[in-house]
Amino acid sequence: MRRHSRRRASALALTVSGVLLAAGCAGATGGGSSDGERVTAPGPEVLDQAEGVTTVTFWHSMGGGALGDALAALTDRFNEENEGSIRVELVYKNSYDDALTAYKAAISSNQTPSLIQVYDIGSQFMIDSGQTIPVQEFADADGVDFDDLQPNIAGYYSIDDTLYSMPFNTSMPLMYFNVDAFEEAGLDPDNPPRTLADIREAAEALTETDAAGNTTRYGFGAAIYGWFLEQWTAGAGLDMCDGANGREERASEVLIDQDTQVELLQWWKQMIDDGLALNTGRETSAAQDAFTAGRTAITLESTGSLGDFLAGAEGRFEVDTAFYPKVSSEDAGGPIIGGASLWISGPGHEPAEQRAAWEYVKFLSTADNQAEWHTSTGYFPTNRAALETDLDREWRAENPQFDTAVDQLEATELTTATQGCLAGAMPKVRQLAEEAIEAALTGAKSVEDALGDAREALRGEMSAYTDSIGG
Amino acid sequence: MSAALRPSRTTAVLTYVLLAVAAAVLLFPVVFTLVGSFLPKSELVSYPPRLTSGAWTTANYEGVVHSVPLLRQYLNSLLVSGLIMVGHLVTATLSAYAFVFLRVPGRRPLFWLFLSTMMIPWEAIVIPNYLLVVSLGLASSYPALVLPFLANGFGTFLMRQAFLRFPSQLRDAATIDGCGHLRFLLTILVPMSKPVLAALAVWAFLSGWNQFLWPLLVSNSSPELYTLQIGINYLRAVDTNQPGQVLAGITLALVPTLLLVLVGQRWLVRGFTAGAVK
Amino acid sequence: MPNVPLPSDPRRRARRRRDITLALAFLAPSLLVFAVFVFFPLGQAVFLATRGSDLFGRPTVSVGFGNFAKLLTPEFGGVLLLTLGYVVLVVVPSIVLPLALAVPMAQRLPGMRLFRTAFALPFAYSVAAASVVFSLLYNPGTSVLNWVLESLGGQGRAWLTDPSLALVSVALVTVWMNTGFNLLVLSAALAGRDEEVLEAAVLDGARGPSMLFRITIPLITPSLFFLVVVTTLNALQSFGQIFILTRGGPNGATGVLVYSIYDTAFANNASDFGLASAQGLVLLLVGLALAAIQFGIIERRVHYQ
Repeated sequence: MRRHSRRRASALALTVSGVLLAAGCAGATGGGSSDGERVTAPGPEVLDQAEGVTTVTFWHSMGGGALGDALAALTDRFNEENEGSIRVELVYKNSYDDALTAYKAAISSNQTPSLIQVYDIGSQFMIDSGQTIPVQEFADADGVDFDDLQPNIAGYYSIDDTLYSMPFNTSMPLMYFNVDAFEEAGLDPDNPPRTLADIREAAEALTETDAAGNTTRYGFGAAIYGWFLEQWTAGAGLDMCDGANGREERASEVLIDQDTQVELLQWWKQMIDDGLALNTGRETSAAQDAFTAGRTAITLESTGSLGDFLAGAEGRFEVDTAFYPKVSSEDAGGPIIGGASLWISGPGHEPAEQRAAWEYVKFLSTADNQAEWHTSTGYFPTNRAALETDLDREWRAENPQFDTAVDQLEATELTTATQGCLAGAMPKVRQLAEEAIEAALTGAKSVEDALGDAREALRGEMSAYTDSIGG
Repeated sequence: MSAALRPSRTTAVLTYVLLAVAAAVLLFPVVFTLVGSFLPKSELVSYPPRLTSGAWTTANYEGVVHSVPLLRQYLNSLLVSGLIMVGHLVTATLSAYAFVFLRVPGRRPLFWLFLSTMMIPWEAIVIPNYLLVVSLGLASSYPALVLPFLANGFGTFLMRQAFLRFPSQLRDAATIDGCGHLRFLLTILVPMSKPVLAALAVWAFLSGWNQFLWPLLVSNSSPELYTLQIGINYLRAVDTNQPGQVLAGITLALVPTLLLVLVGQRWLVRGFTAGAVK
Repeated sequence: MPNVPLPSDPRRRARRRRDITLALAFLAPSLLVFAVFVFFPLGQAVFLATRGSDLFGRPTVSVGFGNFAKLLTPEFGGVLLLTLGYVVLVVVPSIVLPLALAVPMAQRLPGMRLFRTAFALPFAYSVAAASVVFSLLYNPGTSVLNWVLESLGGQGRAWLTDPSLALVSVALVTVWMNTGFNLLVLSAALAGRDEEVLEAAVLDGARGPSMLFRITIPLITPSLFFLVVVTTLNALQSFGQIFILTRGGPNGATGVLVYSIYDTAFANNASDFGLASAQGLVLLLVGLALAAIQFGIIERRVHYQ
């Protein structure tokens, strides 16, 4: 309490003196670089030694009804089981981006939460922030391993065989299609398209125009979403960044203008120009609406949208899922997992609090709890054993569309390509990738120029990020 | 009434046609808001949209009140705008009084200083203000939403214009009667300035009510602090895409401002133009 | 002159001192707010604009004019041009359209009050509310607007995804919101015209356009001037409609200055507060320049009664 108010007072003094945060950088305990204060994972004994109830504050981004409710239910159970020793307080911090913005502000004022949920592309930033303890250290201290973790999922969050954060909500991209439209067009819904050429062929049959020449149904339509470009790239077995996707050394270059990506965008642009695909822009909800309204017959989305699609199409048409398509039939890669993981704060937090956060993280990762999470939210279970529980089996029997994701992940070999690019500037990579796709699809630039310019701009962004760690 | 100014029959017919067409176009989004708020997703998210299918439902309203803390957001908006309004009235009245009725050394430069605050777009200094609020430990707090907007050059300007029009004989008479500044201000000046105070109140309330960027920055990681405007934005952005609920939320959020438009048109115009238009 | 004390009166001097104390006390609340939230941040903006940012957005070493140098690029020039284009796209129709409605509505005809109230309704919409409603009207796959256009024999448009149209679509939302209030102001101004002047003009044979341009508009120039200033500043500060509708896209087509500030400082985990502050100072200059132009040129032509 006293420490807290002193901090506030000194922050005020700094502000008034006009040097504001410049000096705050040097003075912040635990802020800044990781070499200042190395915190190691405490063992289980710290909790026994702690007096009273240890409180864990958990910043998460699971809003919007079902997600928030499911997390609250799990957390309530944890708090019940640990009554008298640990209490987890959920703090909803809105989107992942918002949570990170708040987290950065909290670092400056030494008020970080005990635990935070961070999106996949924030991983390198979290490592660089020096604010966290790798979950691997807790596991090593306990002498346990992560054998139950789905290897592709663990792969994304592992660097040099160290698992930094605990994957929690995991999603994957899928191809969704309108079964009724397929049947109307004389296509076989049991044999959905697998490549760009397949989609084009199907789209030619699926696209319909009315008497006035207005297109009533487009064959294809997906959001301009950087994540999808990363998926197509991994699907072709290619790295998105140098340094083996940033897994072997820090990435400095984004390999965004390879032949596969050029081919993809040329295909996409041609689809739009030929009236076979609808450009719904960057807003993913717009692409979802177009599919739900029956205006597009094939779309790309994450596994997390399945529930929404099923509900939205109910009574109008049948929705089915398929593997995320490949650029060409020879492509041997597979999709990258997305979603978010849980990071335990180190500096500025008591060992008991760190340990309590770890206990909670372990709790969320058990087979039963991941099965509950999977079946109530649609997020892929991180724990392989979750798929073997009765709850999960019965649920998938009722909702066979969810099996596609399970099969797809099993069929994906873990390589640096399917691990995905690890880079601090990833959020920026995604933004510039989207701008490049927009420029190419709208004809503002040629595909080659759009991607080449993005690569050039991203080189600057990557080095600016690297500088900001050193600076 | 002069006959010369009465429009001819043809002019009248043309006028009505023009206005009817304009009304149909301009009110279309309003009608869409209202109609859409009573439609299930299956009717709203379809093409062509089925706006008149007769599948009316109040589920959107139930959803938006239950799944979204709309009431909380409503109270936040009322609280924040209300405090901003009161702050404006107090600071503007006091400072305008000082400028008009008290001898302040350096009155002119001081007044220009006040006016200069009107010339600085808030967005130009939003970054340092954000960092300031963070470093004061006020990020995600009601004070952060309110404090920067408790005073404003426009309010002082408006009240000063009104006070300058106050008859000097009345002021002298009050002084002669031994009426001190505070008593004069509270018992004579304020009651006589009710119209302009009301105008300032409307202006300040609405500018607080409609704020977007600042509350987005200082409250966006704290949903319990959302004002209605931020709530509306996130209604559209949440993972479960429910356009009907979004429109229901907007309809509810429109109530206070619609009332202002329907009941207080004159106030409103005076509020925004007073002092600026002769 | 009884009761007026002589200058040397000590009572007067005491009162004078009391007056000054009181004046300072009265000015203090406003001055405090301005000092903390306007002038200190302004100085801070200058300071930040010369600094780099670390991983968490905290200012680091001085970069001199480095951030400003980053603004001397064709890209940022494009942002400025776009901003000015947007302001024009908003301001001109926001004045002309309400005027085109207010003038016929100023005639002595029954039902005009009803129309005035109806036209004022868009004013009840906040930026967020209007933008979200239009995001549904423009929604590429399910655009209600396109459906109406197609039903009337027209063609649907890619309102937000066509780079040549997106800025117009965003401006359209802003114009729609502005129309309600601007119409109210112009109606009030027209109702305040001097009837004798109007009658004299009619008797002199003024009709239609000549009546409008030679009599009516000069009579309401103060209101028009006021609306031009307010609408311009509002347009310059537009953020919510771009944030909600386009996020600056497609392909940068709607990335106006204020959005660019936000994007640099807060979007995509960026935290480049130094560069964003430099952009903020540019916004300040643009705002001051626009204000100077308007007061300098237009005010001279404004006709006060």
